[in-house]
Amino acid sequence: MKALFKKELLFYFNSPLGYISIVLFGVFANFMFVKDIFVYGSASLRPFFEIVPWLFMIFIPALTMRLIAEEKRTNTIEVLMSMPISEMQIVISKWLSTVLMVGVGLILTMGLPISMYLLTKQVGVRLYLPEVFVGYFGLILLASAYISISLFFSSITKNQIVAFLTSALVIFFLMIFSTDFAASILPKLLQNYLNYLSPTTQLDSLIKGVLDLRSIFYFVSVDALFIFLTVIGLENRQ
Amino acid sequence: MITLNNISKQFGETNALVNITFFAKRGEIIGFLGPNGAGKTTTMRVILGLIKPTAGVVKIDADDPISERLVTLPKIGYLPENNPLYPEMKVIEYLTFVSGMKNEKSLDNLEKIMFQVDILDKKHSNIDQLSRGYKQRVGLAAALIGDPYILILDEPTSGLDPIEQDKIKKLIKSISKEKTVIFSTHILSEVEDIASRLIIVDKGSIIYDGNKPKQKGGVEKLFKKLINKSTK
Repeated sequence: MKALFKKELLFYFNSPLGYISIVLFGVFANFMFVKDIFVYGSASLRPFFEIVPWLFMIFIPALTMRLIAEEKRTNTIEVLMSMPISEMQIVISKWLSTVLMVGVGLILTMGLPISMYLLTKQVGVRLYLPEVFVGYFGLILLASAYISISLFFSSITKNQIVAFLTSALVIFFLMIFSTDFAASILPKLLQNYLNYLSPTTQLDSLIKGVLDLRSIFYFVSVDALFIFLTVIGLENRQ
Repeated sequence: MITLNNISKQFGETNALVNITFFAKRGEIIGFLGPNGAGKTTTMRVILGLIKPTAGVVKIDADDPISERLVTLPKIGYLPENNPLYPEMKVIEYLTFVSGMKNEKSLDNLEKIMFQVDILDKKHSNIDQLSRGYKQRVGLAAALIGDPYILILDEPTSGLDPIEQDKIKKLIKSISKEKTVIFSTHILSEVEDIASRLIIVDKGSIIYDGNKPKQKGGVEKLFKKLINKSTK
């Protein structure tokens, strides 16, 4: 499992895909926040935490689309499956390496809380640090859920573009369940359920600095569900 | 020991394998012959546990390759058809990765295997820059990691020029001592050169299982006769 994890991680660091995705993510995330930093009028990273899920919607499927689809297209999946490693270990290795890669992407945004901390200190306002730590923790949880969803869609096709589009689309629909737009067009009862299922609703309490166990449970459940579905898909190759 | 007992496999309406039964002992080199779509690759995948048979029993020693794949797979080295590799990796990176996957920690063994298959001079080359013959040897090296006693080689010489074919044949012969080797091929002379036993399949069934004919060209004559008979 360690060997596969290392191989996947090295692929990101040795290929343009990894660098381009992560650098673009870092540039966009920083820019989108900084361009309006003086408009927000408060010492908070909450606007940043609200932007990132939309960026993840594109960047995570881009990072994840090849993980299994490419193995199927080139038939290296047969090489992997002929080695003494379980389907679960294959999926976990790929999932974990991408979570770590997204973690690296988030490190590229660490300049924001640091500079905001220093700026606000000068004017006598304090950045609420638990909000920063729990917010980043929430982003990692959100990323892990998006990665498990995208990994599943990568496992059901040989075509990376199809994997990218289907996972981005599913993530998009999950996200809009929590928007005012969904509230205006969906029946009230359905809207409540779908709003609960939206990852952005679950992220909401975490980006306020509240370590909500229900939200953590939600993200872990999404991880487990889609990892399980991916494993089942691989097992059914038999 | 490999045991296949009345193995059948259906893909939808198609009978890919019909009551395949054979045993393979240590030290045997089995040439697996048959026209395209006869069931050679499917049989090999069944032995590896990559495909679950519709009926019948497969055993590697006493273990089922489907339910006990983590027990059976370390005993098997596999070179798939068309030899899929990771082109972005260097030879040494790929073989180190395979060693890790097979829990083979000794790098000395890796050097020995690279020496055995004659790829030491290419160990720092990118896989996508290698010739087809070298790629095939990298695939063989990967199959040999972990010292498996069963080798399953699906068309190991396919697409190679005669010189490379000859090198691979010699290589298979040299590595096959004390191992069970099952290799599929379309090149009938190959079976004559290296196999100790011949299995011919057609339309998912075994139509011959026995010694290879001793006279030169005998395999080809036997193959054509049996396939013609099977077609009629």
